[in-house]
Amino acid sequence: MKRGLLAVWEFIVGDDWVTAAGVVLAGAGTALLQSAGVVAWWLIPLAVAILLTRSLARHRSR
Amino acid sequence: MSGSEAALAVSVFLACTVEAVEALTIVLAVGSTRSWRSALYGVTAGVLALAAVIAALGPAVGSIPLGVLRVAVGGLLLVFGLQWLRKAVLRAAGLKALHDEQAIFARETQRARGAGGRRPGLGSIDAYAFTIACKGVLLEGLEVAFIVLTFGTNQHDVGLAATAAAAAVIIVVAAGVAVRAPLAQIPENTIKFIVGVLLSSFGTFWLADGAGAHWPGADASLLGLIAWTAACAIGLVAWLRPTPTAPLEQVR
Repeated sequence: MKRGLLAVWEFIVGDDWVTAAGVVLAGAGTALLQSAGVVAWWLIPLAVAILLTRSLARHRSR
Repeated sequence: MSGSEAALAVSVFLACTVEAVEALTIVLAVGSTRSWRSALYGVTAGVLALAAVIAALGPAVGSIPLGVLRVAVGGLLLVFGLQWLRKAVLRAAGLKALHDEQAIFARETQRARGAGGRRPGLGSIDAYAFTIACKGVLLEGLEVAFIVLTFGTNQHDVGLAATAAAAAVIIVVAAGVAVRAPLAQIPENTIKFIVGVLLSSFGTFWLADGAGAHWPGADASLLGLIAWTAACAIGLVAWLRPTPTAPLEQVR
């Protein structure tokens, strides 16, 4: 069971859990802003640019 | 066919092409060095296992309400797509080895030869060829199944996604049978880059949609998203690519 869950985690998330957490936060942020009446379609595309840059910058600094 | 359906078909077709090419290389390597019969049994077992996974997950995914499905699947697809895109950007920038089917074929062939004599399996089946072929098809196929299920259920068109996937697999297998060699001529690294952009764009679109956002221009905004994601990725490649050291600095 544990090995199966680890395999699923590795398959979807890989070695960068911060990016996965960032995607969850961006989705939650969009839902919160929308429910407060703020237009928020731009939040996830912006998060994608930031998360990808962060992930690659981490690789570059190694 | 609408624009979003065409984008879905192209995305699934390209993703499945690269996965099928990778699985084909593994099967060719063990088939040509060990046993074609055992390798083909392995392929059959891998395909049957995949069919079982799809049969189990497909109806379960399809029964989830669309709003929840878009958030969950959009989020998963975005995380998965960003993983693809990160590797593709690193390859394009020269910071990660390019995917080379000839080199993988040579490595797999060497491993198959080094694995010793025929390993007894069920009856006259070579267990090594069977296992490696089955594993290759199953692991590469799982990515295909994930993409087909997520794209198909979100767009309410599993049939179109499955057709695009089947077309890719048939074309790759036919080409592999014709040339009897790994399909090294296919620009796999470029396709992986494009697929990374498409998976991330679709994931972004569905996650935001499921979270309650309204895209300006509705489905047409997907094209803008693809352009945005591609521009970010290309910009990051330029930023990461090592700059050649200036001659003056080399003298110093």
